[in-house]
Amino acid sequence: MSPVRVALIGCGAVARLFYAPALRALEVCGEVEVATVCDPAETARMALAAEFPGARAVATEEAAWPGAQLAIVASPPRWHREQCEAAFAAGVDVLCEKPLAGTAADAEAICAAARRAGRRLAAGHYKRFFPVHEWIRTAAGGASPLGALRRIEIAEGGKFRWPAASASFFQRSETPGGVLLDIGVHWLDLLRWWLGEPADFTYEDDALGGLEANAVIQARWPGGAEARLRLSRDAATENASRFTFEHGEVRLVVNDANHLQMQIAGLPGAWRAECEGGATNPQAFILQLRDVVAAVREGREPQVRGEDGAAALRWVEACYARRRRLPLPWLSVEEQETADAR
Amino acid sequence: MKIAIVGASGFIGLRAVEWFTLGRRAEVRAVVRSFSSLAVLARQELDWRVADPLDARALAGAVEGCDAILHAAIGDPDQIEKMAASAVAACRAARIPRLVWLSSASVHGQAPASGTEESSPLRDDLPFPYARAKVRAEQTLAAARDVPSVRLRPGIVFGPRSSWIVDAARQVQTGTAWWIGGGRGVCHSIYVDNLLEAARLACTVPEAVGEAFLVGDAEEVRWRDFLLPIAEAVGGGEHSFRDLAPRDLPGHETLRGLPRWTSLGLVRAAALQVPDRVKRLVKSAAAAWPEAPPSPGAWSLPAPPAPRLTAELGELMQGTCKLPHAKAARLLGYRPIVPFAEGLRRSLAWLAWTR
Repeated sequence: MSPVRVALIGCGAVARLFYAPALRALEVCGEVEVATVCDPAETARMALAAEFPGARAVATEEAAWPGAQLAIVASPPRWHREQCEAAFAAGVDVLCEKPLAGTAADAEAICAAARRAGRRLAAGHYKRFFPVHEWIRTAAGGASPLGALRRIEIAEGGKFRWPAASASFFQRSETPGGVLLDIGVHWLDLLRWWLGEPADFTYEDDALGGLEANAVIQARWPGGAEARLRLSRDAATENASRFTFEHGEVRLVVNDANHLQMQIAGLPGAWRAECEGGATNPQAFILQLRDVVAAVREGREPQVRGEDGAAALRWVEACYARRRRLPLPWLSVEEQETADAR
Repeated sequence: MKIAIVGASGFIGLRAVEWFTLGRRAEVRAVVRSFSSLAVLARQELDWRVADPLDARALAGAVEGCDAILHAAIGDPDQIEKMAASAVAACRAARIPRLVWLSSASVHGQAPASGTEESSPLRDDLPFPYARAKVRAEQTLAAARDVPSVRLRPGIVFGPRSSWIVDAARQVQTGTAWWIGGGRGVCHSIYVDNLLEAARLACTVPEAVGEAFLVGDAEEVRWRDFLLPIAEAVGGGEHSFRDLAPRDLPGHETLRGLPRWTSLGLVRAAALQVPDRVKRLVKSAAAAWPEAPPSPGAWSLPAPPAPRLTAELGELMQGTCKLPHAKAARLLGYRPIVPFAEGLRRSLAWLAWTR
């Protein structure tokens, strides 16, 4: 088995902190070989190149494709469409970091380009590979002893600590969304995966002409299940999700991939369980990459397809389209009026 | 007027940006240490700069063209002293007409004596590093007579995002809340909007230059007036507080006064010094025991969480008199614009909003 040759497009924080260690782990197993690292910023690409001595460091995508079988697109979202389409045109499959694109229209265009070119496209929603999230999916099917899933409460966030290398995260010209697009898109993908398309939802955030730092989604599904999702880059949240079933309750800690706390109706106490041999958060990230690499080698679809990423992004856009402003109850009357006018 | 808010991503800085922009009181330039600090500020389309407040040249570039600086950046004691020198140098280089420096009532000690006012002598041998640093920072500003500066000395600044609110709520929820003498000591509170009103006046009133001002809420507030509503907002009450006496407090930052995790950390740090070979021998000896009896440490029930007692907070809670803001009223025309109860209501509304 020869390793799949990878071109890493974009050498910013997510490439450095997530993709580089995941690629190294798979290089050790002989599953991948990093052929190229690509970024217009020399400092960024040379830092990544130093981690993969066999890789070429290039400034443009055109120079990245020769010899590559899989492109990992980890640049800011506004560049995803152009880079993915170029990869497909060069006969290269793509794993694209979330969000799949800057807009849902671009995401759909990327999916269409992949189909036309006959290439594989995976969306970087690696949290589907958490054992606890797979467990919830099975339980949400309704056939488990816990019974029907009634309600999901999710709260994720706190003071923003991602080591942003530029202001692109926070400028409308560079990205169309704030906390919803950044961390919310993972949850919207998971909610769709667990429950399908919602029957209805509401959305509120605190943007005042810029990008939201706090957001709340409330959604309802045809089977009667409801969810509330609270996201923040601002205030500490519980950083947990709570699933109320007909016969019990399950609590997960955000980013703890293989532990859950369960309370079963009629039995005393809450019990903490660990999925034996289950993947940790970083291991789940590696597992998605491994799945995509295997898909490239075997000529099959990856587990999380581009269409999944596009669907999550459509939901994000639908949220923004029906946005209401979150009440900001500490503002004075005059300040509220200014905020309302934004 | 355009105000550069240095430390715009902190609790006071964020509210200052809201207060000046949404209240249409002034134009704002937000100055932060890193791109990541823009996360909440980005809710508005703002003029912003990234600059380290310890780097005078970078700071001068960031504030250039502004009419005033409101310096709300926080740091450890060493940084506080250096930031004052850096702010003075930046104002000088960028020719900023006014520097408003957020000092602290702690320059008079944690529990100032009756009769304390702005002209009371400052001592730089106070027992707590934070207070000493604030004194030295003020001395740096006062010595730079060519830089028009104003020093504001608030006490307990509270409001949305304030650690006073967040920590008090958390302590009630985790069973670690405490106060001294039933919380009847005077709390030198100031709702953040009142501090910003004082800062606005300090930016503009000519007579303010070179002066220091104590600022506070209008009311005389006791710690129980402040802490009890926070406890009630998270399902607690008077019973949530361990009522301590001054003798229960540690002298200063002794091991007894530090949180449990700190002493555990020391134990772990000590364990790291044990050679690996010894650890392996101990482990293999333990593994070889056919039916190891429970260790002596196993014969205990889980202890309730320990409150974090510090002499600094303990002294703060023993205030006996309200610090006056008569000088701010006389020279600045300062009047608290939000009553204490309304400030607390807004703060608790924010706390509920975060859930």
